[in-house]
Amino acid sequence: MNDTPSAGAQSTVAEKVFTFVDERVGLKLLAAKMLNESVPGGSRWAYVFGSILLFIFSMQAVTGVLLMFYYVPTADHAYDSTQYILHNVDYGWFLLSYHFWGSSAMVLCVFAHMSQVFLWGAYKKPRELIWLVGLALFALVMAFGFTGYLLPWDQRAYWATTVGVEIVDKVPVLGDFMARFLKGGATPGQMTLSRFFVIHVMVLPASLIALAGLHLFLFRCAGPAGPFRGTPTELKAKTDYFFPRQIWKDVVGMAVVFACISAMAFWEPVVLLEEATPDPGDYHPEPEWYFLFMFQHLRLKMFSGEFGQFLASIALPGALGVVLILLPFFDRNPERNIFKRPVALIGWVMLTASILLFTVSAIINRSFLD
Amino acid sequence: MQPQLKSKVRCADREVGEVSKIIMDPLSHEVSHLVVSMNGAGERQVSMGAVQTVTSELVQLRSSSSEVMGLPPFKRDDYVTVHEVEIPGLEKHIHVTPGEVLVPFPELERNVKRRTFFAKLTYVTGLFIGLPLVFPVVKFLMKPMYAPLDNGWLKIGNIGKVKAEDVGTQFQYNRIVKEVYMPEAEVEKNVWLVKATPAVLEKVYQGKDREFRDAAGKAIWTNKKDMPYIAFSGKCPHLGCAYKWRKHKMLGQVFLCPCHLSIYDASGKVLDGPAPRPLDLLPIQVSANGDVQIIDMEFKAGTNSQTRIV
Repeated sequence: MNDTPSAGAQSTVAEKVFTFVDERVGLKLLAAKMLNESVPGGSRWAYVFGSILLFIFSMQAVTGVLLMFYYVPTADHAYDSTQYILHNVDYGWFLLSYHFWGSSAMVLCVFAHMSQVFLWGAYKKPRELIWLVGLALFALVMAFGFTGYLLPWDQRAYWATTVGVEIVDKVPVLGDFMARFLKGGATPGQMTLSRFFVIHVMVLPASLIALAGLHLFLFRCAGPAGPFRGTPTELKAKTDYFFPRQIWKDVVGMAVVFACISAMAFWEPVVLLEEATPDPGDYHPEPEWYFLFMFQHLRLKMFSGEFGQFLASIALPGALGVVLILLPFFDRNPERNIFKRPVALIGWVMLTASILLFTVSAIINRSFLD
Repeated sequence: MQPQLKSKVRCADREVGEVSKIIMDPLSHEVSHLVVSMNGAGERQVSMGAVQTVTSELVQLRSSSSEVMGLPPFKRDDYVTVHEVEIPGLEKHIHVTPGEVLVPFPELERNVKRRTFFAKLTYVTGLFIGLPLVFPVVKFLMKPMYAPLDNGWLKIGNIGKVKAEDVGTQFQYNRIVKEVYMPEAEVEKNVWLVKATPAVLEKVYQGKDREFRDAAGKAIWTNKKDMPYIAFSGKCPHLGCAYKWRKHKMLGQVFLCPCHLSIYDASGKVLDGPAPRPLDLLPIQVSANGDVQIIDMEFKAGTNSQTRIV
């Protein structure tokens, strides 16, 4: 690395600072290592979701920290402080709404990212560990959504938590303890708010940063999987580095997502319902849209009774989780082309279709309730 | 074996120079080319396809020296060093360094047994710090989880509000809650009252008085089977939402929970939907002047049998 320009008379202050740091930490080499990663078969739009998720998370962290300048996590002030952010603090409505819609964007992009990895067969050997850590990250994202939902302390918040924690209660043996642990008692109250708050702003972000770091480290150890079609010669001919083509695509993706979240925050800003209380009045409780499919399938007659409820809320999602965890270990076929993996393709289509179906039917069901 | 740096390179006819650089393919992790320094006549890039055999000191090529000399000169600018590129598992695949680069193992560190001992000591110290903390931390977090149950009577309104028989009437009331260090707060709650006809009472009590007991099994109160007023906890026994008294197209007037669409009749019996058990009956008394009092109990939702939690 001797080609660094010596800090001569012609170098600017910025160059001198750069040289100073570079001599001590090898900045140039580090940047080169980060950017010069071969992307087999070349950059693609399909690969943008991981970077976009990192971007959404950074923005959630920034907006989240800003919200905490005014938000107070107590049962007697959470609602008022959230209303204050929405109605009195300059641009508070925008930051809060951005944070709110950002969570939806996160869930959508997690789904897209997981689907891409699944359809491309990129979870297969030697990338099993990346997949496993990714599943843990998926769980964290859902936990972020669930805990964040309570914080405004309005009716929507209260009931989503009430029902959600009742579902946790259905876990065999440990359920009662887990539900009481989350609520900090028998019913949702100050202790619940305190717990959800600290989980949302400390425990989950710390876990997510650690696991996302591990996810990236493992990804760099294994390298990108590349497309599922093409001979080694064809792939090699199209191969480029992460910078600039893939980064360019990622950046465009981030800009589009930023524009979408901002637009949603602008046109559909957050509006709170009444303050949380165990008497909902005329409000019909409903979870956030990405839990609607779960909500809707709990309505089915086939999932009635104690066992039916256990089946629908714990056993089936749990079984899906176990299948996803074990996936790279029983799917040992090196074939990555999704069109030559009929079971995987049909499985993905069916799962996606049923999530869509239940979500839509939950939305249609709304009109029959009033 | 892989070609080594500084190895002599011999063509079919004569020796032409030595290996000065090695080029690898970042995708396949294989050595793809050698760069041969031609004894002062520049550098040539030779494909591994042209290599016949590789020994520790010699690379034997199939081509003749004139063929190698005829190759275009090596263009350094078309390449970057492996230090500047992220290549997963590079060290596992490429062994081209002419010998190992070593640093001495410190004198004091050569006692292997002691190193093992200190490695284990680290774990022991960790356990020594961590284990005693487990119990205090768990107790710390569990503090508010199991609050004692409150069996006090709560006045919720006047029975005059109930107009018709076998119809659900909602009583909204405020309960004073004092949660740990928080100031006392009023929480809005509701229960549903039904003035039951004898037929509905029979369905509710099945000819027996209903006794309520505390956790220790001591009787708290008994609802008499012929007392016409019954009170249901406002919490749906399916997953804890709040249900309503609604008109249903086929079933007539019913209790309906908007969350997961459980439907109950005036006696609390499940008519339709996913609920695992009837609505939860509460202890109730109505005084001579019509004041209604209840014990505000809540039960765990989603179970076949009742488990009281409040």
